[in-house]
Amino acid sequence: MGSHHDIGRTALGGIASVLLTLGVGGAAAQAQEPIKVGVTLTQSPPGSVIQGTEVLRGLEIARDMFNEEGGVLDRPFELIVEDTQGIPERGRAAVEKLITSDEVVALTGEHQSSVCLAQTGLVARHNVPYINTNCWSDDIRKEGHPQVFSPNMYNSRVATAMAEVIKGLEVDSVFALAENTDWGIGQAEALDELLEQTGADVDYQYELLDREARDFTPVIQGVRGENPSLIALIMLPPAAYVALNQLHEQGVIPSEDTWLFEGGGLFSYPDFWENVREAALYGIYFDLYHTEMALSDLGAQVREEYMQRHDGTPSRLVFQAADSLLLIKEAIAGAGSTDPDAMIEWLQQAEVEGTRGVISFSDEPGPLFQQWIDTPFVTFQVTELDQTLEETTLISAPDSGVQIDQLHRPKN
Amino acid sequence: MLTLEAIVLGLIMGIFYGLMAFGLTLIFGILKVVYFAHGESFMIGAFAYSLLALWLGVPLWLAIPSAIVVGGVIAVVVERLLIRPLYEKFGDWQAMRDEYAIIVTFGLSLFLVNLANQIFGPYPFRGPELTDVARFELGPMIVGGHRLVAGAVGVVVLVAAYLFIQHSFWGKQIRAVAQNRFGASIAGIDTRMVSMMVFALAGGLAALSGALLAPLFHASPDVGVLPALKSFVIVVLGGMGSPIGSLLGGLILGVLESLGALYISYTYRDTFAFVILIMVLLLRPQGLFGERAREV
Amino acid sequence: MGGSRLRIRNEFLASLVFLAIVALLPVWVISPYWRGLLVVSMYFALLAVAWNLLAGYAGQFSLAPTAFAMIGAYTTGLLAHHYGLSPLIGIPAAIVVSGVVGMGLGRVVFRLRGPYLALTTLSFAEILRHVVRNAHEITRGEFGLRVPALFDSHLAYFYVFLGLLLAVQVGLYLMLRSPAGLYLQAIRDDETAAASRGVNVVFWKTTAFAVSGAICGIAGALYVHFSEIASPQIGHIFETGLVLASVVIGGMGTMIGPVVGAFLVEIASEQFRAIGVNHMLLFAFMVIVVVRFFREGLWGLVMLALGRRLAGPRRRARPAQAGGS
Repeated sequence: MGSHHDIGRTALGGIASVLLTLGVGGAAAQAQEPIKVGVTLTQSPPGSVIQGTEVLRGLEIARDMFNEEGGVLDRPFELIVEDTQGIPERGRAAVEKLITSDEVVALTGEHQSSVCLAQTGLVARHNVPYINTNCWSDDIRKEGHPQVFSPNMYNSRVATAMAEVIKGLEVDSVFALAENTDWGIGQAEALDELLEQTGADVDYQYELLDREARDFTPVIQGVRGENPSLIALIMLPPAAYVALNQLHEQGVIPSEDTWLFEGGGLFSYPDFWENVREAALYGIYFDLYHTEMALSDLGAQVREEYMQRHDGTPSRLVFQAADSLLLIKEAIAGAGSTDPDAMIEWLQQAEVEGTRGVISFSDEPGPLFQQWIDTPFVTFQVTELDQTLEETTLISAPDSGVQIDQLHRPKN
Repeated sequence: MLTLEAIVLGLIMGIFYGLMAFGLTLIFGILKVVYFAHGESFMIGAFAYSLLALWLGVPLWLAIPSAIVVGGVIAVVVERLLIRPLYEKFGDWQAMRDEYAIIVTFGLSLFLVNLANQIFGPYPFRGPELTDVARFELGPMIVGGHRLVAGAVGVVVLVAAYLFIQHSFWGKQIRAVAQNRFGASIAGIDTRMVSMMVFALAGGLAALSGALLAPLFHASPDVGVLPALKSFVIVVLGGMGSPIGSLLGGLILGVLESLGALYISYTYRDTFAFVILIMVLLLRPQGLFGERAREV
Repeated sequence: MGGSRLRIRNEFLASLVFLAIVALLPVWVISPYWRGLLVVSMYFALLAVAWNLLAGYAGQFSLAPTAFAMIGAYTTGLLAHHYGLSPLIGIPAAIVVSGVVGMGLGRVVFRLRGPYLALTTLSFAEILRHVVRNAHEITRGEFGLRVPALFDSHLAYFYVFLGLLLAVQVGLYLMLRSPAGLYLQAIRDDETAAASRGVNVVFWKTTAFAVSGAICGIAGALYVHFSEIASPQIGHIFETGLVLASVVIGGMGTMIGPVVGAFLVEIASEQFRAIGVNHMLLFAFMVIVVVRFFREGLWGLVMLALGRRLAGPRRRARPAQAGGS
């Protein structure tokens, strides 16, 4: 039915299309070669799987958002995830694999200090940019490796928040319950120092709680005995939920004589209200954002996306994770390549608008080396069951000061 | 005053420990081997209770027994698949029963913890409290509402279980097998059925313990690990195979832990159990109520 | 007796062959990641051999091998961290300390058997781990303790570990062939009978604990110098499970099983991790299946394939127990 010409043209057309596709496809494939980012976090016990899950969710949201915009240098991001189980040796092996076998351009995602510490030596030796997502330990920064950048929250920052509120409340005794990790201990000690510095005449003591344990009743009995004016809770789920509930069980909170200040960003964990009921009321909560605070577009988007994909609200780890990937993206874009030295140099001078504010890194050697110093935070009070973030009462924010008068006393 | 409260709280916690130890000591009694996955029965009970109530809206008076049943059923399945070879066909395994039991049940424990992590995710669940009363104030003492009610439930069940073991037909069969398996089978006792019953009972009681503690400890994949270790201590303390020993051992441990945490050291609270165990074993190797020269 | 000696000799030679192959691996295996994996395998192999000595040959089912590794690790780590002492002092110190503690533990538990022994050693391990985790002013708890490296390249660690493993295997072989080996196995098979025939049970049990502890201790010490960080995770019960799994999967009570088992377990768990599926799930399942259906482990399978059964089940006569099995 078709003439020779038709068949010929069809054939030619066919060959041409194939060649064209191959050519374009080939070129596209070249340009499409993904940017490999190495991620280490905890996905199975005995480490903190909750933390690892939140971090991974944040990274995936960021990756998808960036890839939709075309990635960077016309290349999409690819996350290569390794499970460390929270074990330092595994973390070291994971990083070694990512660097030597997978040849990633940057590393990020780690959220447990002991694991980070096991990794930084290798990172420095191989000169790979490392964005510290959530390792609080000062040691990591004290080592002074130029490859390591810390845009995460750090101990003295949270302690500052607490000290501000404590000063404003004019309480005379504080009892802190901290988990026995670098984060908990560091914060408990930082709070001690800050209270001394502010000259507040405050009687301060703290107890370290094992986050593997589940029954804090004896300690809380002790707290009852001391009858402090403010209890500072420096713990993470699930132990934090347990502690809150047991404080409530023994009638310590909510109370008109005792304030509760929560310093772990607990409220925004997706399962908060499921696990904590009346125990949450009238507590003062610390977090990284509030709906009344100026959230950058990126931050708002990340929050939206998280709430669509998952059941509940994103914890601070999600934002820290998104910022981590953002920094890698901006570093590559800014340096114009994935050359580690160029990326590192760029990051040292960077000013990147992250999910909650402009990120830049200090060059002061010591515990704040390459740390984002001005991480924003807020404190707010929860007054009713199942309250959403919008409904809570903002007590302090980066732009406004501390509004103690906004605080409600429980109706005992 | 704090001391009295600590004792009361310790006794209540001891009841929960006792629920776990009771079944475990029976397992020891009939099998003479370490059952490492006992903590996972606790975990299963905690999840079953929490999820039935939270997700399916099952009323509490039904959710608790359901959790017991789930725990018992899964324990029986484990017995059938993995434990039965211990005392049945594998003649050669007689020589290495201890090792086999420990490793298989250890592997099982690891498997179940990770399976729970896979299925339910790492976020904890809090089963609903059994009562709306937040706390009972008995004079200067404060005891949590749920804690007291759950403790009461635990006592009732434990007493029932004890009476069952001591006086019922099946209870006597269980004790016979624990004393002398071979002799019991010659006497016509169906040792298979007895093993199944013991596992069902142990799994069910541990699951109950988990369910009762779910509102306090929050159900999460690894919630059963520490209770399991403590129940091992109690079983050895009270004497392997001795139900009354496990009950008393549980209460004693609960009180000692509570007082020790308050007056000696909170931080090392979870090590007391092990220290007590080592001390007891050195002084009295058969435990408080065990039989002399119980060589395994 | 002859068959047993022959069997031990064959297993020993087989293990030498295996180690010789391992020694040549770095020729093909160049990636530092894979070399590191092999180093970690050898760490577990040392623990497995030490545990097999105690449990497989002496019949003392201890659940504390990783606790001794932790003792060794923190001995050298703390000496380096607080006193700046070099590993050349730290490592010998680790051997001594873990050996002495092992001896002490052995002396303390010598009357216990079976589950009692297992649970007591487990308690010991848990107490130790808790103390290390919580005495954070000394040990830095969960943060981990920074430990100085011994060498720059993985290759050096590789051959040091291999050398140690080889030495331990040779030592074990010589011991098994000596009267000591007979005494240990006699104790394992029937302690009362052994005692009645003049075997100094207390002495030999204590010695077994001490030697096993010392091997675990030096393994732990070298391990932390390799990974440059000591953490309480080393003594976690999960790690003990890996050691036990290595021995059982490889073939318990043999001279080659623990070594091969350790390599298999370490490499398998890493590979499962690479698959991304919850690797521990897969791994635990594998352990259950192997133990349930292949109780003689891989070495048993190999022997079966070669047409030879392992020389009879280990005879473990139970003293007149009020209840047969």
